[in-house]
Amino acid sequence: MRYRSQGVAYWYFAVALLLFALQLAFGFLSAVKYLGPDPLKDILPFHVTKTIHTNLLVVWILMGFLGSAFYVVPEESETELHSPRLAYATLGLLTVLGVVAVVGYMFGWTAGNKLLEQPLPIKIGIVVVMLLFAYNIVRTMAKGARVTATSGVLVAGLFGAALLYLPSLLEFTNYTVATFYRWWTIHLWVEGVFELVQAGLLAFLLVRLTGVDRALMEKWVYIVAGLTFITGLIGTAHHYFWIGVPEYWLPLGGFFSALEPLPFLAMAVMAYVAFRTMERAPENRVALHWALGSALVSLIGAGVLGLAHTWPAVNKWTHGTLVTPMHGHMAFFGAYGMIILAMVSFTMPYVTGNPDAVRKARGIGIWAFWIMVGGMAGMTMAFAAGGVAQVYMERILGIGYLDAQLKIQVHFQMLLAAAALFSLGVLLFLWDYFVKHPKRGLHTPHGGAQGA
Amino acid sequence: MTKRQAAAFFFGGTGIFVVVFAGMTIHSHTRFPELTNAQDLTPLVLEGKDVWHRGSCVNCHTLMGEGAYYAPDLTRITALRGEAYLAQFLTEPTRFYSEEEHGRIMTNPNLTPHEIEAVIAFLDWIDGIDNFQWPPRPILVSGMSYGPGGGTASGSPASDDPVAMGEFLFRSSPPACFSCHSTSPGVDLVGPSVANTATRARDVLEDPAYGGSATSPEEWVRESILEPSTYLHPGSPTYSAMGQSVMPGNYGETLSPEEVEYLVAYLMTLR
Repeated sequence: MRYRSQGVAYWYFAVALLLFALQLAFGFLSAVKYLGPDPLKDILPFHVTKTIHTNLLVVWILMGFLGSAFYVVPEESETELHSPRLAYATLGLLTVLGVVAVVGYMFGWTAGNKLLEQPLPIKIGIVVVMLLFAYNIVRTMAKGARVTATSGVLVAGLFGAALLYLPSLLEFTNYTVATFYRWWTIHLWVEGVFELVQAGLLAFLLVRLTGVDRALMEKWVYIVAGLTFITGLIGTAHHYFWIGVPEYWLPLGGFFSALEPLPFLAMAVMAYVAFRTMERAPENRVALHWALGSALVSLIGAGVLGLAHTWPAVNKWTHGTLVTPMHGHMAFFGAYGMIILAMVSFTMPYVTGNPDAVRKARGIGIWAFWIMVGGMAGMTMAFAAGGVAQVYMERILGIGYLDAQLKIQVHFQMLLAAAALFSLGVLLFLWDYFVKHPKRGLHTPHGGAQGA
Repeated sequence: MTKRQAAAFFFGGTGIFVVVFAGMTIHSHTRFPELTNAQDLTPLVLEGKDVWHRGSCVNCHTLMGEGAYYAPDLTRITALRGEAYLAQFLTEPTRFYSEEEHGRIMTNPNLTPHEIEAVIAFLDWIDGIDNFQWPPRPILVSGMSYGPGGGTASGSPASDDPVAMGEFLFRSSPPACFSCHSTSPGVDLVGPSVANTATRARDVLEDPAYGGSATSPEEWVRESILEPSTYLHPGSPTYSAMGQSVMPGNYGETLSPEEVEYLVAYLMTLR
């Protein structure tokens, strides 16, 4: 950390972590309802808890990305942030929008579109947030000494996310067409521009943590970014197979979406290259765990588990079952949750003013890492076993949906047990961040860019 | 590969695939009207779409497999269950399922009769979309047959005997007769048990209150399949409402005349 204005990242991360914790609470509520009967069905039914669970995910991931960008861009551009005050205002607005949306869902104020439930005024507010962010970042980069590939790809990813949100403002009369464009936002976020953000942050972290050659990392960032769009654009088709599109989307979409693990593989290779050339372990081992972990878990969760059900002949049977959240949970956590937790861990000594944090008591951070990864692996397995059983009973044997659900209750019990483990890891992480290392100020060592 | 080459790979590759993706999108737009029967997007269907969104239905159910996984897929629901049943169901869903039995239940969406009509019209439009016949076989809401001889058909009928063909059809989906009718005596599901059909046919024909045109038990069974509202079975309010059976009235169109005869032959063996 070289510039005081990078400290705005702290508040972005602090709010994001609290929303992450809240997301877990609503995840638990939703999972318990699968076991039923549900005493809360009249005041907080499943469709509300599920909406809040997924919306909080989107908000805290977005918040983590913006905070990360406000930390990375000044350092890469070698200048103070254009306006820290504007950055705080942006965070305030995003937080208010998030809270209003969540409360609104509880009272039935919803657009009722999967993952894009935000009513129009909230959507417009989110666009304003992205514009304020873009203005601040562009002004910072313009006055800065340089634009690196790392910050360039990171910011391009976030600008792309803003641009791809725009189709969600439109109203389509045809449900098929509406679904077609809904995935422009959701799919091209998570399997498109968000991967650029992940690759940019990973390069930043690996250069700082392992001292690996910057040019080597930035070469890999371009490879990841190229593979992302070469496979991921037409790969959008795996959401299109069964919604009423022309037939060529099946073979073409199947082929390219089967290649979608490649950018994640490239990221894992990138992390491996950095790890192999590392001369000595960095002091901030916790951040290194999260960075390498993100590269590997995203390869498994997003890459391999996505591949497992993306081929049309397979997807025909698994589409719309618990096989999808099997992939979704580990993909989101591995790719985006973990890279943000890596940024949070990396920046923690600086933005909280606890320079000794990485030397003392790092054990808690490592425990939090392994417990969360273990818990998520358990949740993934529970969804996988439940999903495969659901496909077999419901779609091969022709057993009715409700009766098949009764037979997979044990997998929801497993899900809850694994989620409890995962939550323990999250609580440890939060305790480490907020209680063990409360914010004391900022730590900006001289020439601190290398001081990891 | 140098960093410059990698950058060229990114910009070139992305550029090419943006163009290809845009081309596929534009072409798809020329096909959407025909694939989705856009001419059938009546004001009622669009109203139904609004009801669907307002109720946040997609955060429990799936439609064309898209949505949440807490409740059954509704892509083919109008073909499987028929309008009369769906209208009754949406008026008070808790009458049709038991939360104790299945662990979850749909709460009353509090829709007006017009909204119910609209959302059913919307679901019926969805059913007509050409989506490569997904799901590959109908996804039932509930219903395994209970008791001995339960379970669903797979493979092929035991023989080409009409009764064997009828039993196979009864347990096949569609028409999924078994999802509402048990063959075990006294097991009344959404519809009454069809055990003792032959006996019941004689009783009904002797009842002076019977107003149908059947003169033999076979004719009565055939009539009950093709025109379910002619004779309304007394008992549970889930069977019928306002003089209308909740059983789909379109089996005359979805089943061939031979298939109806197979079902009659099979049901007449249940005495």
